[in-house]
Amino acid sequence: MEERLKLASRVMQAGMLGVALAGLLTSNFIWMPAAMISLFISVIPAILRRDLGLVLPVELNFWIALALFLHVIGGFSGFYDSVPGWDHLTHAMSSSLVAALGFVFVVSVDKYVESIFLPRPFLAFFIIMFTMAIGVIWELMEFANDQLTGSRLQYDLDDTMVDLMFDSLAGFIMGIAGAYYLTHTAQEHFVESLKVERAKKKWGILKKWARSKGGK
Amino acid sequence: MSGNGRVTKGPFSGRRPDQIVEALLSWIASLVLFFSTVYVVLKVDVLWIVFGIAAICLYVLPLVTIRNPFRVLPWEMTLLLAAPLLLHISAGARSMNDRFAWWNDLTSLAFALALSTIGFLLTVELEMYTSVKMNRPFAVLFVIMFTLGASGFWEVGEYINDELFGSSYLKSNYDAMTTLLWTSIGGILMGLFYALYLKVMPKKRLFTFGFIHLYEVPKWKKG
Repeated sequence: MEERLKLASRVMQAGMLGVALAGLLTSNFIWMPAAMISLFISVIPAILRRDLGLVLPVELNFWIALALFLHVIGGFSGFYDSVPGWDHLTHAMSSSLVAALGFVFVVSVDKYVESIFLPRPFLAFFIIMFTMAIGVIWELMEFANDQLTGSRLQYDLDDTMVDLMFDSLAGFIMGIAGAYYLTHTAQEHFVESLKVERAKKKWGILKKWARSKGGK
Repeated sequence: MSGNGRVTKGPFSGRRPDQIVEALLSWIASLVLFFSTVYVVLKVDVLWIVFGIAAICLYVLPLVTIRNPFRVLPWEMTLLLAAPLLLHISAGARSMNDRFAWWNDLTSLAFALALSTIGFLLTVELEMYTSVKMNRPFAVLFVIMFTLGASGFWEVGEYINDELFGSSYLKSNYDAMTTLLWTSIGGILMGLFYALYLKVMPKKRLFTFGFIHLYEVPKWKKG
């Protein structure tokens, strides 16, 4: 299962690279930056793993790649305009991703910061609020883009509101699923599998190294 | 004084005058909050009922558990909670809306201040009554995220209300987005402001309000 998910992530990354190359060859540059940036973001977990030894769950990496892939492919092939609901699909994908990252964040904070203790219902509540907040920030960015450059990322009120509803739906599902997941796996186990301790140590070494370089 | 039996012990005896004034102001502000909520309940204004009842609960909870009428929420916070409700129900606000283009932005900002106050009170009261523990940076993050998220849910709620019951809270996308913009600005500012507020507030006052525990997490970094 893990191998298959990894393979699927690679295939989708190749797809994003393909979009970038195809854009270059057909001189259709509009979606090239998005493809390149998305490709880079989808590689970040691998970089984190190599340089810091921080291990994100395979499912999460797969989810990151899938959300970005759908966004890039949809933009490049015009699915945003031609396929009804594509916009909402990618919104739900990306906001569930945000919720998952929020989950990893709060669970790690709960474990590694002594002055913080977050019981499970609060975790779920925080994730729901966090996802909605990021959704609002996202809509505000779209709005600002529309106002400043005259683009049309937001069609109308209905569109924006349905986007927000999908965001909140993703937040609710992830919040409740996350709390449920933690009741069935020990929180300790989940956080330890992330190898944050090792990452912190490596980060310290990296910082020391950078300082010694700067000193010379 | 005591002993000759002339002066009986009243509720205000033994209080500093500034304590009495502050408590009085807070009670008056809470009455404003209470009666505005009663008004929206009578009007069956669902979203505002939720808002009002949440605010009242946050005000009453410490009062009921500590059982000391002088350890109430600071009056300035209570006023902030009541302000958007008052603005919402007063006919004056509507005529101001027609007269000044920026009045709408002001009400959105007032709403943001109230939402972030609710967020702040949640951080305090969750610590008091549940096992949740936060340090100050996380509390600031929570206040900001709560304000943004709650305003998002609020807009969705208004939209659903419009669709189902034919009300007209949201006129256009531009309208909704400016509201969200103002609530975001207000939320971020207030999140940072409350951190400052706790730092600046005299210790005695902090203790009176029971905010002391948030104040006393000096070593938040190490874990």
